[in-house]
Amino acid sequence: MLARPGLPSFDYVRAGTADDVVRLLEEHGEAARLMMGGTDLFVGMRDGVARPRVVVDVKHLSGMRDVVYDEQARLTVGAAVTMNEIAHHPDVQAHYPLLAEAANSVASYQVRNRATIGGNLCNASPCADTVPVTLVLEGNVVLYGPGGERELPAGEFFTGPGETALGADELMTAIRYPALPPGAAGRYLKLGRSKIGDLAIVSVAVLGFPDNVAPSGYRFRVALGSVAPVVLRVSAAEEVLAENPPGEGGFALAAEQAVEAASPIDDVRGSAAYRVAMVRQLTRRGLREVWGQLRGT
Amino acid sequence: MANRSPSSTFTSDPVGKSVPRIDVVEKVTGSAVFIDDMQFGPGTYHARLVRSPHAHARVVRIDVSRALEVPGVKAAVTGKDLDARIGLYLIDRPIFAGERVRYVGEPVAGVVATSEEIAERAAQLVEVEYEELPAVFDPVESAQPDAPLLHPDLGEYDVASFIFPEPGTNVSEHFKLRKGDVETSWPRCAAIVEGEFRLPQIQHVPIEPHGAVALWELSGEVTLWTSSQSPFAQRDLIAQSLGIPHGNLRVVSPYVGGGFGGKAGVSMEVCAVVLARAVKGHPVKLRMTREEEFVGTTVRQSLVAHTKIGCDAEGNLLAMETEYYFGGGAYNDYGVNIARAAGYSCTGPYDIPNVKGDSYCVYTNQPIGSAMRGFGMPEIHWGIEQIMDQLAEQIGMDPAEFRRRNCVQTGDTILTGMEMPAIDLVACIDKVTEAIGWGKKGAASAPHKRRGQGIAIMWKAPAMPPNPGSSAVVRFNEDATLNVAIGAQELGQGAFTVAAQVAAQALGVPYEWVRVSAPVDTKYSPYEWQTVASRITWSMGNAVKAAAEDARRQIIELVADHWDEDPDDLDVKDGKVISYTSEREQPLQNMVIYGLPNEDFEGWKGGPVVGQGRFMPTYVTNLDPETGQGTRAVVHYTVGAQAVDLEVDTETGQVEVLEIASAYDVGKAVNPDLIMTQIEGGAVHGMSSAFEALRFDEDGRPLNPSLVDYRIATSVDVPREIHGDFVETPLEDGPWGARGVGEHVMVQTAPAIANAINDALGIRFNDLPLSAEKIFLALEGREG
Amino acid sequence: MATHSITVIVNGSAEFLTVPSSMTLLQMLREELALTGTKNGCEAGECGACTVLVDGEPVNSCMMLAVEVDGREVTTVEGLARLYGDGKQLSPLQEAFVEHNAVQCGFCTPGMLISAHALLERSPDPTEEEIREALVGNLCRCTGYLRIIQAVQTAAARKEEV
Repeated sequence: MLARPGLPSFDYVRAGTADDVVRLLEEHGEAARLMMGGTDLFVGMRDGVARPRVVVDVKHLSGMRDVVYDEQARLTVGAAVTMNEIAHHPDVQAHYPLLAEAANSVASYQVRNRATIGGNLCNASPCADTVPVTLVLEGNVVLYGPGGERELPAGEFFTGPGETALGADELMTAIRYPALPPGAAGRYLKLGRSKIGDLAIVSVAVLGFPDNVAPSGYRFRVALGSVAPVVLRVSAAEEVLAENPPGEGGFALAAEQAVEAASPIDDVRGSAAYRVAMVRQLTRRGLREVWGQLRGT
Repeated sequence: MANRSPSSTFTSDPVGKSVPRIDVVEKVTGSAVFIDDMQFGPGTYHARLVRSPHAHARVVRIDVSRALEVPGVKAAVTGKDLDARIGLYLIDRPIFAGERVRYVGEPVAGVVATSEEIAERAAQLVEVEYEELPAVFDPVESAQPDAPLLHPDLGEYDVASFIFPEPGTNVSEHFKLRKGDVETSWPRCAAIVEGEFRLPQIQHVPIEPHGAVALWELSGEVTLWTSSQSPFAQRDLIAQSLGIPHGNLRVVSPYVGGGFGGKAGVSMEVCAVVLARAVKGHPVKLRMTREEEFVGTTVRQSLVAHTKIGCDAEGNLLAMETEYYFGGGAYNDYGVNIARAAGYSCTGPYDIPNVKGDSYCVYTNQPIGSAMRGFGMPEIHWGIEQIMDQLAEQIGMDPAEFRRRNCVQTGDTILTGMEMPAIDLVACIDKVTEAIGWGKKGAASAPHKRRGQGIAIMWKAPAMPPNPGSSAVVRFNEDATLNVAIGAQELGQGAFTVAAQVAAQALGVPYEWVRVSAPVDTKYSPYEWQTVASRITWSMGNAVKAAAEDARRQIIELVADHWDEDPDDLDVKDGKVISYTSEREQPLQNMVIYGLPNEDFEGWKGGPVVGQGRFMPTYVTNLDPETGQGTRAVVHYTVGAQAVDLEVDTETGQVEVLEIASAYDVGKAVNPDLIMTQIEGGAVHGMSSAFEALRFDEDGRPLNPSLVDYRIATSVDVPREIHGDFVETPLEDGPWGARGVGEHVMVQTAPAIANAINDALGIRFNDLPLSAEKIFLALEGREG
Repeated sequence: MATHSITVIVNGSAEFLTVPSSMTLLQMLREELALTGTKNGCEAGECGACTVLVDGEPVNSCMMLAVEVDGREVTTVEGLARLYGDGKQLSPLQEAFVEHNAVQCGFCTPGMLISAHALLERSPDPTEEEIREALVGNLCRCTGYLRIIQAVQTAAARKEEV
């Protein structure tokens, strides 16, 4: 009913290699949970929804804490990299500022020193802050399991609220963000009950870039958070934006598509009616601001 | 305002000065001790409570056998093991639920074990069978004759003489105020505004959750350590409830990490004592998780108010009719006095000649409503202050001017027939309108934002029985530093600092020589009724002043005798006795313990100086149960005004409060900067309270008992500017004229915000909580 | 339940402890080391009363396991003055809190001091906005935050002068 004091008993194991992790998962099955920063896991354990007998700490595996930006202009973020590390990393700030912005919007500074991108993605809350931006940045998640390593587009990773394609014996090791189209600009807008520090009631990630194949001369990618069971890209909005010249008219049309695509619920944080209106609002604002960046204003 | 660091400074005549807090170094070094910090040794057991999942149900069967089998479990207690109720004004609450539970979260059993972990696991194994009963959550509904009856035995409960429950119903108190004739007044009104206002339950959210450790010795002595605003009241209630002689029950309270009324009465503490009785000789620690703090301690009552107020064409208030239905929760012990206080102050700070007020406290199947900062005043001012704005609007008068015209003034005969003691609310209104730039609001910061200004005034009297006493003892050390012993508690409001200032001033010693510290211990500290009601500066202050003056008199008499001078020619200044005639000096050091030798050491005079003092108001009278009239309903009122400047983002409904200006008539600012800190903290608390609500599903289960979904103001939400000020109209029997202000500072912030939102958008919100969503949807509804 | 032998430097002093797996850093500090300055306000990472520095970075100690600080350095409010190395009882930040009356009940104060200290280390001349944001994870119910923000500004200004 009400959360219990402290954490229930479990055995903590610090995994040495990814194969160790796989072995532990195979051995303990449902009784094992992987641990990153613990900010979601511990809350779940106090609430009684997570009852692992074994907690496997995977933060210290080789590469899990690395941020690597390579010559092919690709960013690889280890799954155990914290939100603060992402937000303050010079390469992320320089080349993927949208990711830095989203990471920096999570909770508080203290929480951001522990919360990890891998944990955020694997927890797959509909209001997770790194999911919409990972979708519009078209990142791939890197998973490791008994069959070795596999890579999956983020869009295929999220299968339901709190559900992912992560296999029972798998862990996430990294997220790979491809090179962005030249001239890309992005914005992550998050509406909470307080100005900052809250979970998202509605969130919108927008990425825009010049594209002379598109009739409008630009392409936009739009993802919505907290308004559906799974964070989603709004392809209908993206089509509208590819067709129509950037401006208030096109943005309003795209926002309506976003509203169509959203299926929010009433919950203790907000009503569906408000969320629908805010999807419209934030989509328009996001597009306006990205357009402002693209134009250099 | 910055203060000097405490160390080798030497502050004479500290009353009126912003001396540093006496407890601040302890607190910034992390050495201040709170209940969870106290160490009780290896024999300490830990307890967890088993709580009802139903809002209203019969307890059919409760089986603790599986819990008792868990290794490390020492005892399990249920309501079947004891037949005791507890309460202050209305003894209606079982310590563990008896034949029925009345709210989700009500304790039905407790488990004691060698660790909290084991106690928690064992608590999960307690089996309880319930038979659900229909529940009721709305106080108006619950007051109806056909509502499910929560307390069939209401007629048998012990109740204070000034509380009037209605057995056979869910009404635990009905206060009636009848003054003049409202029926004949309505026709004379040029403007009448009527409204229904709803407030949800909200919680104090002290950053320190409740906690208690109880030890029931084999000798029969019982000690309760707990975070408490009122150790003596807790002792009294628990002693009576459990049949422990007062002298055998000791309550000790270290520093309190925020009280706001929630730690004033008895909530979970008595459970610890009952559990300790089951494991005599072992301290038993019971602490609340944050989630339990929300729904398992106490909350502010909900309210449904129907209020109608009318004025003439010149804007003079003529009549008011109001019904307050307080949702008191499952047990209404404190709640009945809140409903009463709301009744005898039901007009708000206004001079209204014709009043009909009915204030009800009603049982509902919700968490226990009890004292929370303002004690009924924030709840009723929410509606009153909005109606006043609407009346002003109807007759075309500025809202501040309307209040200047109608607010209560010194000498007015107020609603209970009492004469209003000296205050200056008009000066408070003037100060805040000046500070906020009333009528000259700035431009909105963007085209989609709207700027608004709002004002609200308030009053509150300490809501107490007629005879709440304070006492104090002043004891010296050899080096002439002195200890002031009080029963009043330091909650953060600065009570210890004020006590030290008062003692130093009244004695004639430097502020820095005075020691006032935690804990308050009923075994050693002198009696204090409770640290509530914003009464401590006034009441404890008077007691400390009297004790210090008693000590001073002893000192002067001794030295006068020693010098063979007239005591009237002597004084104590800066820690020395001086003579205005002979200009001799006698330092206090050593003398205050050892006395003074006669000439040629032929004997000694004097000895340890111990000053004692007390204060108790003697003039509060009964009120007629049918009319609420009486000579003196309350000891005094503190009044104040607040003005708010804010912006609303019409695209999202988000509100940003830009500035709050507050001014209160404090009688005498004993420590001006401490008053400013109360004003600032109160403004933010008041602002936050407008956006807070405990939410429940249709079965009465809490939906947001956590800080994730019950959000309080953060550092980012605070206005850029909080402008605080005070007026000093001396209180006749206050120490140097001082009056309390700790609650008043947040009473009217919510309606001030509502009035400002109305100024910005032309939309009224009668129901709390406010939220961006509510504001946005209202805007959309209006345009749509 | 498994236990772990750990070595952790707390406020400059090496501690050798055996901790159960599920013990949080908060419990370790308060119960194993009797460093009760760090407070338990929610055990959910929301209120910040449990904030401590781990290798110089502020974290909610209720959301970290004791076993995770093996080989690391932890600083609590009791060790704050020590970080300045001048032998004084109070750090400049604590002194500023005293001067500004930025303390009422005192329960949030240790966490506030740790968060504020960490802010000044990484951003010695913060704007008011930056201070507010850095403290958003430290809840206070008494003060209304303004004095706390002012105290941080004063401490920052003094660091500049040094």
